[in-house]
Amino acid sequence: MTFSTALWRLLAFPGILYAVPAAWVFLWLERKAVARMQQRVGPPFLQAFLDFVKLLGKEAPPRPGLEGKLMKAWPALAVAAGVGACGLLPVLPGHGGFAGDLVLLLALLELPSVFLIAAGFSSRSLYGQLGSAREAVLSLSYGVLFLVAVLAIAAAQHTFRLEELAAPSGSPLRWLGVLAIVLCLPAKLHVTPFSVPNAEQEIYAGALTEYAGPELALWELAHGLEWVAMTGLVASLVAPRIGPAWLAALAFAALSLLVVLLLSVLAAATARVTIDRAARFYWRTALAMAVLCGAASLLPGFQP
Amino acid sequence: MNALSLLLENLSRGALTLRFPARPPAPPAYRGLVKFDPERCQGCGMCAFVCTSGSIVYRPRPKVYEWAYEPGACTFCGRCVEACVSHAISMEPTRPPVYTQAGALRTAYQVPRKPPPGAAPPPPAPSAPGGTP
Repeated sequence: MTFSTALWRLLAFPGILYAVPAAWVFLWLERKAVARMQQRVGPPFLQAFLDFVKLLGKEAPPRPGLEGKLMKAWPALAVAAGVGACGLLPVLPGHGGFAGDLVLLLALLELPSVFLIAAGFSSRSLYGQLGSAREAVLSLSYGVLFLVAVLAIAAAQHTFRLEELAAPSGSPLRWLGVLAIVLCLPAKLHVTPFSVPNAEQEIYAGALTEYAGPELALWELAHGLEWVAMTGLVASLVAPRIGPAWLAALAFAALSLLVVLLLSVLAAATARVTIDRAARFYWRTALAMAVLCGAASLLPGFQP
Repeated sequence: MNALSLLLENLSRGALTLRFPARPPAPPAYRGLVKFDPERCQGCGMCAFVCTSGSIVYRPRPKVYEWAYEPGACTFCGRCVEACVSHAISMEPTRPPVYTQAGALRTAYQVPRKPPPGAAPPPPAPSAPGGTP
């Protein structure tokens, strides 16, 4: 990957120019779809963007000392990690990449969650700390499954390059791995039934309870970018490698929207589970599938 | 699967949310706004005494007392109706209209005191004031 290609991917597609508007569209679509399935009207199309602008214009309460500096730093770092993760997605065929970029992508996808945990504890709010503790437990639960699932796909295709990982493969393990990644999405994106870290009407906004103004706007954006990155990862793994770049980009965006709709159906159809049940689900049920996928990827019969 | 079919059903039905100024009908057990009849009122002030939300205000004066009602503060509990021995207070099951300013629905009456039952009628006044909302 040349410098100009990397800059294009980070700033234009699938980086900032695509990911930021897509983040607002995805946040809107999820809220709208859930609302329609609950017979409500739901927010207008520009609501997520308008919320962002409104929060940017508000004044956050002054927080002196290191605590204030940290509280300002975490959302900015989370946005940076989200943009970086989106920029790394292997959307366009033959668009570069480097050896081991999968490892970087996995790290960048994990970072917003780590920053969120740190933000809740930095705020020194009871609800913030409770939300952070829940996020930490949930993150430990789905994180292992997520890593095993991605590594199983990587092991089946003998590569840590995203470009080659996204290339079509005849191995059925790929679909098992993709299914395991999809299982992680609700917990990673705080969608019901795994919305315990920011459980509304229960612990206010969880780790973000003490946040307001521009910092909260950045957190909302970071959350939207997480949506784009995670749904984009699934989309890039299942999307067929189509020749023209514009068609590949279109297929990528359409598949991402489809994953958002799928998660919205799940959110509307289920109720929030407690943190112990969520952890149990990931450690017992889902992890078994990922381990099976990982073990099978080492068998010669399943090699592509 | 039951949940999914329910979601599909909801999607096909469309949103139930009513657009302003449309409003849903009042529920069957809704008591509604307090209605005051100054002709029947004896001026005992029990309605204001039992009104825990303070929406009824009774200001006693020797000849004319003031009775005021603020629907914005009312919880529609109906205790004023129960306490009114002269049946001057009733409730009509209609929703209060939408208002944009605090106190816009407040009504106040200046009610002349009535003579106690069995007392001689007072001499006719040159201009007897009636209840004015």
